[in-house]
Amino acid sequence: MISSNLSNRLIFIFSLLGLFVSSFLLYEYTITGPIVCPIGGGCDTVRSSVYSHILGIPVPILGIAFYLGMAVLSVVHSQKSVQKIIKKLQLLGAVAAVAFGVYLTFLEAFVIKAFCFWCVLSFIISVIILLAVVSARKEDYDNGN
Amino acid sequence: MTTETKILGVILILTVVLLGGGVFFLSKGLSNVKSTEEASVAQIDYSRGEKIGSDSAKVKVVEFSDLQCPACLAAEPIVKKLRADYPDQVQLIYRHFPLPQHTHGREAAILAEAAGQQGKFWEIHDKLFETQAEWSGLTDVNNFFMDLSKQVGLDENKLKQDMAGNPVKSKIDSDVADGQSLGVNSTPTFYVNGHKVVLQSFDDLNTAVAQELKK
Repeated sequence: MISSNLSNRLIFIFSLLGLFVSSFLLYEYTITGPIVCPIGGGCDTVRSSVYSHILGIPVPILGIAFYLGMAVLSVVHSQKSVQKIIKKLQLLGAVAAVAFGVYLTFLEAFVIKAFCFWCVLSFIISVIILLAVVSARKEDYDNGN
Repeated sequence: MTTETKILGVILILTVVLLGGGVFFLSKGLSNVKSTEEASVAQIDYSRGEKIGSDSAKVKVVEFSDLQCPACLAAEPIVKKLRADYPDQVQLIYRHFPLPQHTHGREAAILAEAAGQQGKFWEIHDKLFETQAEWSGLTDVNNFFMDLSKQVGLDENKLKQDMAGNPVKSKIDSDVADGQSLGVNSTPTFYVNGHKVVLQSFDDLNTAVAQELKK
Protein backbone atom coordinates (compact mmCIF):
# COMPACT_ATOMS: atom_id res chain seq x y z
CA MET A 1 0.00 0.00 0.00
CA ILE A 2 1.12 3.52 -0.68
CA SER A 3 0.81 6.68 1.36
CA SER A 4 -1.92 9.21 0.70
CA ASN A 5 0.62 11.80 -0.52
CA LEU A 6 2.30 9.42 -2.93
CA SER A 7 -1.02 8.22 -4.32
CA ASN A 8 -2.12 11.81 -4.78
CA ARG A 9 0.99 12.56 -6.84
CA LEU A 10 0.38 9.42 -8.90
CA ILE A 11 -3.22 10.50 -9.53
CA PHE A 12 -1.93 13.92 -10.59
CA ILE A 13 0.69 12.52 -13.00
CA PHE A 14 -1.71 10.01 -14.58
CA SER A 15 -4.43 12.66 -14.88
CA LEU A 16 -1.99 14.81 -16.89
CA LEU A 17 -1.13 11.80 -19.07
CA GLY A 18 -4.85 11.21 -19.59
CA LEU A 19 -5.28 14.87 -20.51
CA PHE A 20 -2.63 14.50 -23.23
CA VAL A 21 -4.28 11.36 -24.63
CA SER A 22 -7.81 12.85 -24.60
CA SER A 23 -6.66 16.16 -26.10
CA PHE A 24 -4.85 14.32 -28.86
CA LEU A 25 -8.00 12.31 -29.59
CA LEU A 26 -10.13 15.47 -29.60
CA TYR A 27 -7.73 16.97 -32.14
CA GLU A 28 -8.00 13.80 -34.24
CA TYR A 29 -11.80 14.12 -34.09
CA THR A 30 -11.58 17.56 -35.69
CA ILE A 31 -9.73 16.28 -38.76
CA THR A 32 -11.07 13.97 -41.44
CA GLY A 33 -7.89 12.14 -42.40
CA PRO A 34 -6.85 8.84 -40.88
CA ILE A 35 -6.04 8.81 -37.16
CA VAL A 36 -2.49 7.95 -36.13
CA CYS A 37 -3.19 4.52 -34.64
CA PRO A 38 -0.01 2.76 -33.40
CA ILE A 39 -1.52 -0.69 -32.71
CA GLY A 40 -4.56 -2.39 -34.21
CA GLY A 41 -5.60 0.28 -36.71
CA GLY A 42 -9.21 0.45 -35.46
CA CYS A 43 -9.19 4.16 -34.56
CA ASP A 44 -10.94 5.28 -37.78
CA THR A 45 -13.66 2.68 -37.35
CA VAL A 46 -14.27 3.67 -33.74
CA ARG A 47 -14.33 7.39 -34.58
CA SER A 48 -16.80 6.86 -37.41
CA SER A 49 -19.14 4.71 -35.28
CA VAL A 50 -22.27 6.16 -33.69
CA TYR A 51 -20.70 5.64 -30.26
CA SER A 52 -18.03 8.30 -30.85
CA HIS A 53 -20.45 10.97 -29.59
CA ILE A 54 -22.71 10.79 -26.57
CA LEU A 55 -25.66 13.21 -26.64
CA GLY A 56 -23.76 15.10 -29.32
CA ILE A 57 -20.64 15.45 -27.18
CA PRO A 58 -17.47 13.89 -28.60
CA VAL A 59 -16.25 11.21 -26.15
CA PRO A 60 -12.72 12.78 -25.89
CA ILE A 61 -14.32 15.90 -24.34
CA LEU A 62 -15.76 13.70 -21.56
CA GLY A 63 -12.24 12.31 -21.09
CA ILE A 64 -10.74 15.81 -20.88
CA ALA A 65 -13.39 16.85 -18.33
CA PHE A 66 -12.65 13.79 -16.18
CA TYR A 67 -8.85 14.10 -16.22
CA LEU A 68 -8.99 17.85 -15.67
CA GLY A 69 -11.35 17.31 -12.73
CA MET A 70 -9.10 14.64 -11.23
CA ALA A 71 -6.00 16.83 -11.69
CA VAL A 72 -7.71 19.79 -9.99
CA LEU A 73 -8.83 17.52 -7.11
CA SER A 74 -5.27 16.30 -6.57
CA VAL A 75 -3.99 19.89 -6.51
CA VAL A 76 -6.58 20.81 -3.88
CA HIS A 77 -5.94 17.52 -2.03
CA SER A 78 -2.56 18.81 -0.83
CA GLN A 79 -4.53 21.20 1.42
CA LYS A 80 -5.05 19.19 4.63
CA SER A 81 -8.33 20.88 5.62
CA VAL A 82 -10.38 19.53 2.71
CA GLN A 83 -8.82 16.10 2.24
CA LYS A 84 -11.80 14.03 3.38
CA ILE A 85 -14.28 15.42 0.90
CA ILE A 86 -11.63 15.46 -1.87
CA LYS A 87 -10.93 11.77 -1.31
CA LYS A 88 -14.64 10.98 -1.63
CA LEU A 89 -14.86 12.97 -4.87
CA GLN A 90 -11.75 11.25 -6.23
CA LEU A 91 -13.25 7.82 -5.54
CA LEU A 92 -16.57 8.81 -7.08
CA GLY A 93 -14.90 10.25 -10.20
CA ALA A 94 -12.54 7.31 -10.69
CA VAL A 95 -15.27 4.68 -10.25
CA ALA A 96 -17.54 6.51 -12.71
CA ALA A 97 -14.71 6.84 -15.24
CA VAL A 98 -13.69 3.19 -15.02
CA ALA A 99 -17.33 2.08 -15.29
CA PHE A 100 -17.75 4.26 -18.39
CA GLY A 101 -14.44 2.90 -19.74
CA VAL A 102 -15.65 -0.69 -19.24
CA TYR A 103 -18.81 0.19 -21.19
CA LEU A 104 -16.80 1.80 -24.05
CA THR A 105 -14.30 -1.06 -24.20
CA PHE A 106 -17.21 -3.52 -24.27
CA LEU A 107 -18.67 -1.61 -27.23
CA GLU A 108 -15.31 -1.70 -29.00
CA ALA A 109 -14.94 -5.45 -28.46
CA PHE A 110 -18.45 -6.68 -29.22
CA VAL A 111 -20.38 -4.01 -31.12
CA ILE A 112 -17.90 -1.93 -33.15
CA LYS A 113 -15.50 -4.91 -33.30
CA ALA A 114 -12.45 -2.67 -33.58
CA PHE A 115 -10.10 -1.34 -30.93
CA CYS A 116 -8.85 2.22 -30.82
CA PHE A 117 -5.38 2.33 -29.27
CA TRP A 118 -5.85 5.75 -27.66
CA CYS A 119 -9.22 4.80 -26.15
CA VAL A 120 -7.78 1.63 -24.62
CA LEU A 121 -4.77 3.61 -23.34
CA SER A 122 -7.12 6.11 -21.71
CA PHE A 123 -9.06 3.24 -20.12
CA ILE A 124 -5.82 1.80 -18.68
CA ILE A 125 -4.87 5.23 -17.28
CA SER A 126 -8.27 5.55 -15.59
CA VAL A 127 -7.86 2.08 -14.04
CA ILE A 128 -4.43 3.09 -12.65
CA ILE A 129 -5.99 6.25 -11.19
CA LEU A 130 -8.73 4.18 -9.54
CA LEU A 131 -6.12 1.77 -8.10
CA ALA A 132 -4.18 4.74 -6.68
CA VAL A 133 -7.34 6.19 -5.10
CA VAL A 134 -8.37 2.84 -3.60
CA SER A 135 -4.93 1.96 -2.28
CA ALA A 136 -4.62 5.35 -0.52
CA ARG A 137 -8.03 4.81 1.07
CA LYS A 138 -6.99 1.36 2.26
CA GLU A 139 -3.84 2.82 3.78
CA ASP A 140 -5.93 5.47 5.60
CA TYR A 141 -8.32 2.77 6.79
CA ASP A 142 -5.49 0.55 8.09
CA ASN A 143 -4.06 3.53 9.96
CA GLY A 144 -7.45 4.09 11.56
CA ASN A 145 -8.12 7.46 9.86
CA MET B 1 -1.25 27.10 0.76
CA THR B 2 1.33 24.30 0.90
CA THR B 3 4.33 24.20 -1.42
CA GLU B 4 2.95 21.02 -2.99
CA THR B 5 -0.35 22.73 -3.83
CA LYS B 6 1.55 25.56 -5.52
CA ILE B 7 3.85 23.26 -7.52
CA LEU B 8 1.05 20.96 -8.68
CA GLY B 9 -1.15 23.95 -9.44
CA VAL B 10 1.50 25.59 -11.62
CA ILE B 11 2.20 22.33 -13.49
CA LEU B 12 -1.52 21.84 -14.10
CA ILE B 13 -2.04 25.39 -15.39
CA LEU B 14 0.97 25.10 -17.71
CA THR B 15 -0.27 21.75 -19.06
CA VAL B 16 -3.78 23.08 -19.70
CA VAL B 17 -2.45 26.20 -21.47
CA LEU B 18 -0.09 24.07 -23.58
CA LEU B 19 -2.77 21.54 -24.58
CA GLY B 20 -5.53 24.12 -25.05
CA GLY B 21 -3.25 26.25 -27.23
CA GLY B 22 -2.09 23.22 -29.20
CA VAL B 23 -5.58 21.94 -30.00
CA PHE B 24 -6.84 25.48 -30.74
CA PHE B 25 -4.05 26.45 -33.15
CA LEU B 26 -3.88 23.09 -34.91
CA SER B 27 -7.66 23.02 -35.47
CA LYS B 28 -7.64 26.68 -36.54
CA GLY B 29 -4.89 26.05 -39.07
CA LEU B 30 -6.92 23.15 -40.35
CA SER B 31 -10.19 25.08 -40.64
CA ASN B 32 -8.42 27.69 -42.79
CA VAL B 33 -7.35 24.93 -45.13
CA LYS B 34 -10.90 23.57 -45.11
CA SER B 35 -12.51 26.85 -46.08
CA THR B 36 -10.22 27.36 -49.06
CA GLU B 37 -10.77 23.78 -50.14
CA GLU B 38 -14.52 24.14 -49.83
CA ALA B 39 -14.58 27.40 -51.73
CA SER B 40 -12.81 26.09 -54.81
CA VAL B 41 -14.42 23.71 -57.26
CA ALA B 42 -12.12 20.82 -58.10
CA GLN B 43 -11.64 20.08 -61.79
CA ILE B 44 -12.72 16.47 -61.93
CA ASP B 45 -12.91 14.44 -65.12
CA TYR B 46 -16.38 12.92 -64.80
CA SER B 47 -15.83 10.57 -67.74
CA ARG B 48 -13.61 8.41 -65.52
CA GLY B 49 -14.51 5.99 -62.74
CA GLU B 50 -17.27 3.48 -62.13
CA LYS B 51 -20.71 5.10 -62.06
CA ILE B 52 -24.15 4.51 -60.66
CA GLY B 53 -26.91 6.84 -61.81
CA SER B 54 -27.51 8.93 -64.89
CA ASP B 55 -24.86 11.16 -66.50
CA SER B 56 -27.43 13.96 -66.49
CA ALA B 57 -27.94 13.72 -62.69
CA LYS B 58 -27.95 17.12 -60.99
CA VAL B 59 -25.49 16.10 -58.30
CA LYS B 60 -22.31 14.14 -58.92
CA VAL B 61 -20.73 12.51 -55.89
CA VAL B 62 -17.17 11.33 -56.45
CA GLU B 63 -15.67 9.05 -53.83
CA PHE B 64 -11.96 8.32 -53.67
CA SER B 65 -11.92 5.06 -51.77
CA ASP B 66 -9.84 2.07 -50.79
CA LEU B 67 -11.63 -1.28 -50.56
CA GLN B 68 -9.45 -2.27 -47.59
CA CYS B 69 -9.96 0.94 -45.62
CA PRO B 70 -12.14 0.56 -42.51
CA ALA B 71 -13.34 4.18 -42.68
CA CYS B 72 -14.55 3.57 -46.27
CA LEU B 73 -16.44 0.54 -45.01
CA ALA B 74 -17.95 2.71 -42.26
CA ALA B 75 -19.04 5.23 -44.92
CA GLU B 76 -20.79 2.56 -47.02
CA PRO B 77 -24.22 2.76 -45.32
CA ILE B 78 -24.49 6.50 -46.02
CA VAL B 79 -23.32 6.04 -49.63
CA LYS B 80 -25.89 3.28 -50.11
CA LYS B 81 -28.55 5.53 -48.59
CA LEU B 82 -27.69 8.21 -51.17
CA ARG B 83 -28.04 5.62 -53.91
CA ALA B 84 -31.46 4.63 -52.57
CA ASP B 85 -32.78 8.12 -51.70
CA TYR B 86 -31.84 9.90 -54.93
CA PRO B 87 -31.74 7.29 -57.70
CA ASP B 88 -32.33 9.90 -60.44
CA GLN B 89 -30.83 13.05 -58.98
CA VAL B 90 -27.45 11.75 -57.84
CA GLN B 91 -24.73 10.03 -59.80
CA LEU B 92 -22.20 8.22 -57.67
CA ILE B 93 -18.71 7.81 -59.10
CA TYR B 94 -16.21 5.46 -57.53
CA ARG B 95 -12.49 6.23 -57.96
CA HIS B 96 -9.70 4.02 -56.66
CA PHE B 97 -7.28 5.39 -54.13
CA PRO B 98 -5.66 2.32 -52.50
CA LEU B 99 -3.42 3.50 -49.67
CA PRO B 100 0.07 1.99 -49.32
CA GLN B 101 -0.54 0.91 -45.70
CA HIS B 102 -3.34 -1.41 -46.84
CA THR B 103 -1.42 -4.39 -48.18
CA HIS B 104 -4.31 -5.81 -50.23
CA GLY B 105 -5.94 -2.51 -51.19
CA ARG B 106 -4.50 -2.50 -54.68
CA GLU B 107 -5.22 -6.21 -55.27
CA ALA B 108 -8.83 -5.60 -54.27
CA ALA B 109 -9.00 -2.64 -56.67
CA ILE B 110 -7.62 -4.84 -59.47
CA LEU B 111 -10.23 -7.52 -58.75
CA ALA B 112 -13.02 -4.92 -58.75
CA GLU B 113 -11.87 -3.37 -62.05
CA ALA B 114 -11.48 -6.79 -63.68
CA ALA B 115 -14.99 -7.67 -62.49
CA GLY B 116 -16.07 -4.36 -64.03
CA GLN B 117 -14.92 -5.70 -67.42
CA GLN B 118 -17.70 -8.29 -66.99
CA GLY B 119 -20.17 -5.64 -65.83
CA LYS B 120 -20.03 -6.69 -62.19
CA PHE B 121 -18.00 -3.92 -60.58
CA TRP B 122 -20.63 -2.94 -58.01
CA GLU B 123 -21.48 -6.52 -57.08
CA ILE B 124 -17.85 -7.32 -56.23
CA HIS B 125 -17.39 -3.85 -54.65
CA ASP B 126 -20.24 -4.62 -52.23
CA LYS B 127 -18.95 -8.14 -51.56
CA LEU B 128 -15.42 -6.88 -50.87
CA PHE B 129 -16.70 -4.36 -48.34
CA GLU B 130 -19.02 -6.90 -46.69
CA THR B 131 -16.15 -9.34 -46.20
CA GLN B 132 -13.39 -6.77 -45.56
CA ALA B 133 -12.66 -8.04 -42.05
CA GLU B 134 -12.25 -11.61 -43.37
CA TRP B 135 -9.63 -10.87 -46.06
CA SER B 136 -7.80 -7.84 -44.66
CA GLY B 137 -5.64 -9.95 -42.35
CA LEU B 138 -4.86 -12.75 -44.84
CA THR B 139 -1.31 -13.15 -46.15
CA ASP B 140 -2.55 -14.33 -49.53
CA VAL B 141 -5.97 -13.16 -50.70
CA ASN B 142 -6.00 -14.98 -54.05
CA ASN B 143 -8.20 -17.93 -53.07
CA PHE B 144 -10.54 -15.73 -51.07
CA PHE B 145 -10.96 -13.34 -54.00
CA MET B 146 -11.58 -16.22 -56.41
CA ASP B 147 -14.32 -17.54 -54.10
CA LEU B 148 -15.93 -14.10 -54.03
CA SER B 149 -15.82 -13.88 -57.81
CA LYS B 150 -17.56 -17.24 -58.09
CA GLN B 151 -20.26 -15.99 -55.73
CA VAL B 152 -21.07 -13.10 -58.03
CA GLY B 153 -20.90 -15.33 -61.10
CA LEU B 154 -17.74 -14.12 -62.82
CA ASP B 155 -16.01 -16.04 -65.59
CA GLU B 156 -12.82 -17.11 -63.84
CA ASN B 157 -10.59 -17.38 -66.90
CA LYS B 158 -11.53 -13.98 -68.24
CA LEU B 159 -11.18 -12.51 -64.74
CA LYS B 160 -7.64 -13.86 -64.37
CA GLN B 161 -6.70 -12.51 -67.80
CA ASP B 162 -8.12 -9.08 -67.03
CA MET B 163 -6.49 -8.96 -63.60
CA ALA B 164 -3.09 -9.56 -65.20
CA GLY B 165 -3.74 -7.13 -68.04
CA ASN B 166 -2.64 -3.54 -68.40
CA PRO B 167 -5.99 -1.77 -68.99
CA VAL B 168 -7.16 -2.57 -65.46
CA LYS B 169 -3.89 -1.50 -63.84
CA SER B 170 -3.58 1.71 -65.82
CA LYS B 171 -7.17 2.63 -64.89
CA ILE B 172 -6.30 2.33 -61.20
CA ASP B 173 -3.04 4.23 -61.72
CA SER B 174 -4.86 7.06 -63.43
CA ASP B 175 -7.42 7.20 -60.57
CA VAL B 176 -4.59 7.46 -58.06
CA ALA B 177 -2.80 10.10 -60.17
CA ASP B 178 -6.03 12.15 -60.46
CA GLY B 179 -6.57 11.85 -56.70
CA GLN B 180 -3.05 13.00 -55.98
CA SER B 181 -3.34 15.98 -58.31
CA LEU B 182 -6.57 16.96 -56.51
CA GLY B 183 -4.74 16.74 -53.18
CA VAL B 184 -6.51 13.62 -51.89
CA ASN B 185 -4.44 12.25 -49.02
CA SER B 186 -6.87 10.04 -47.14
CA THR B 187 -9.84 7.80 -47.77
CA PRO B 188 -12.72 8.12 -48.11
CA THR B 189 -12.56 11.56 -49.73
CA PHE B 190 -15.81 12.81 -51.24
CA TYR B 191 -16.48 15.52 -53.81
CA VAL B 192 -20.03 16.77 -54.26
CA ASN B 193 -20.28 18.65 -57.59
CA GLY B 194 -16.56 19.33 -57.32
CA HIS B 195 -16.68 20.62 -53.75
CA LYS B 196 -14.52 18.62 -51.39
CA VAL B 197 -16.71 17.64 -48.46
CA VAL B 198 -15.01 17.93 -45.10
CA LEU B 199 -16.73 15.29 -43.02
CA GLN B 200 -17.17 15.67 -39.30
CA SER B 201 -19.63 12.80 -39.51
CA PHE B 202 -20.88 10.83 -42.48
CA ASP B 203 -24.24 12.63 -42.25
CA ASP B 204 -22.43 15.71 -43.56
CA LEU B 205 -22.31 13.97 -46.94
CA ASN B 206 -26.09 13.76 -46.97
CA THR B 207 -26.32 17.44 -46.02
CA ALA B 208 -23.89 18.46 -48.78
CA VAL B 209 -25.92 16.53 -51.37
CA ALA B 210 -29.21 18.01 -50.11
CA GLN B 211 -27.71 21.52 -50.39
CA GLU B 212 -26.59 20.93 -53.97
CA LEU B 213 -30.05 19.60 -54.89
CA LYS B 214 -31.64 22.82 -53.60
CA LYS B 215 -29.43 25.04 -55.79
